[in-house]
Amino acid sequence: MGGLNETLRTLAAAHITHVVGLPDSTSAPLFRTLTRHPSVRLVTVTREGEAFAIASGLWLGGARPLVVIQNTGLLESGDSLRGTAVRMAAPIPILVTGRGYRKMVRAGVTPDEPRTSELLTRADVDSAALLTEPTLAAWGIPFERCEGEQSPAEVLARTIESARSHQRPSAVIVARALD
Amino acid sequence: MSVTRPWGRLSDHDLDFASTDSAMGHAADLALGIALARPDRTVVCLNGDGSMLMALGTLATAVGARAENFVLIVVDNGVYEITGNQPVAASGSIDYAAMAMAAGFPRVFRFDDAREYVEAVPGILERSPEAPGPTLVYVRVEPGTEGPISRSESEAARYLRVSIAEWSRTLRDALAANPA
Repeated sequence: MGGLNETLRTLAAAHITHVVGLPDSTSAPLFRTLTRHPSVRLVTVTREGEAFAIASGLWLGGARPLVVIQNTGLLESGDSLRGTAVRMAAPIPILVTGRGYRKMVRAGVTPDEPRTSELLTRADVDSAALLTEPTLAAWGIPFERCEGEQSPAEVLARTIESARSHQRPSAVIVARALD
Repeated sequence: MSVTRPWGRLSDHDLDFASTDSAMGHAADLALGIALARPDRTVVCLNGDGSMLMALGTLATAVGARAENFVLIVVDNGVYEITGNQPVAASGSIDYAAMAMAAGFPRVFRFDDAREYVEAVPGILERSPEAPGPTLVYVRVEPGTEGPISRSESEAARYLRVSIAEWSRTLRDALAANPA
């Protein structure tokens, strides 16, 4: 567990100006710290779809935003993400916290397993986790999953660079608390 | 969305932006993002009532973000004009000005007659030190007949003749080149 300080250093190194999103238990430590951060402005939204529109607007205005939302919110954001960041080819990095990822791993579900109705309704797996990566892939958003002992900060740094160099959204999925 | 073609007839400026071929309901929050990035400029969003209803939470987000330079104009014609003027849910019953005040907007203007709005515009766009924070303007209008709007070379407005990705870069460059 851990990585909050490293994550903050990554934000500073990447000159992130704004973090836009909604907290969950994984990202809560980051949100708490950002409420009093000297240089990164936190913009808390009421629903995750707003985050992509606001982030796209921030980019238009010359800012460098990072979106931080849970995978459930990613799914809810569908058309907002499509119609703003994707359609505008905006270089928005996205930190997606992965609700249900541990359950999915424990249940032995693999990324390439077909998402059948039977699988999506199983009580021992979280459908939000099941649908996160297929949804990102369907939208053409490259992503990396932070796994094992990988540093969330390092993967986030690559995600930010990927978004900027390719001028389109890019995502990192983090399934453990940023504390 | 139905304001984008009429506005394009009135204005041809690189600082204009059409939320067309974008995400329905997300004109206000996208404009809010620009406002937050550029506190030195006043950012005005012309939002339809249908669009506003799709993302009412943006009222709270704008207040929470303390976007003092953000002017959100809700143009209420009571219908979805671009699809043939079907009525918006609860059209005529919704008090957008009251919703904005309840969300904490420190400056709220209501005009049931568009002619009164025209006279008030200069004062609305002046920032008020006594009431910092976002501004909401409600204007009741009659439905028009704009019909479907798309981005194509058949459109007269320059900002509708190119893709939203291309125009985004035009706007971004214009904002970068033009300090307030």
